[in-house]
Amino acid sequence: MSGMNGTRAVRVLLFGAAADQAGARELELQVRDGATLGDLWNELTGRYPGLTPMGDTLAFAVNQEYAGMERRVSPGDEVAILPPVSGG
Amino acid sequence: MRWRYCRPSREVSLFAIVEGPLVVGEIISGAFRPDCGAVATFIGTTREDATEGARVEYLEYEAYRPMADRKLAEIGREIAERWDVREVRIVHRIGRVGLGEPSVVIVVAAPRRGAAFEASRYAIERIKQVVPIWKREVWSDGYVWVGSQVGTRPAARALR
Repeated sequence: MSGMNGTRAVRVLLFGAAADQAGARELELQVRDGATLGDLWNELTGRYPGLTPMGDTLAFAVNQEYAGMERRVSPGDEVAILPPVSGG
Repeated sequence: MRWRYCRPSREVSLFAIVEGPLVVGEIISGAFRPDCGAVATFIGTTREDATEGARVEYLEYEAYRPMADRKLAEIGREIAERWDVREVRIVHRIGRVGLGEPSVVIVVAAPRRGAAFEASRYAIERIKQVVPIWKREVWSDGYVWVGSQVGTRPAARALR
């Protein structure tokens, strides 16, 4: 998982409308040491601009628990991009 | 179907996400207990929707697992903290679901009806707030993700 220049891979899962907008359901992103979910989001929207308009509606999870944008992400973490849930 | 049993002390509860039709009668009757005088059931079914010239053909659900399974069990624990209930069952279907078919079955058994009614209402409201499950309406003219208004329908494309 270790990359060059102190960056490491985080596994990113996208669901529902977010997967649609990105055109991807799963990917790996290299993040710097000390990076937050917010940093990862910036990286993600740079790569998939279609996600940008959804930004205000999305929730995030780190290792399968809801997390805020200030949450640190570490190598090997599983990050999920969650559109507004619509079960039931 | 794949059942996941969770047995907190003295309670017997069932939280499951399954593909394929829900066997509603079995899910309900499995909650009958001699120490309970009330079993409240909520069944969510897929609703036909139509606008001028287009109609929903079926729905398709997806879940983020196992987070979604864990969140269902969490709702069960929240209910146990708030009401005197003895069993909570929540079974949610994913995949393709035809119109008018059950997509979620919630069963709460309690000694008395007040708690059973209130807890079953709470369960469906919480599912709609915190459980990572999404549905896509597949219309005759494209699809749309419910809650996001993203999709291939003419109306959804206009919002992009």
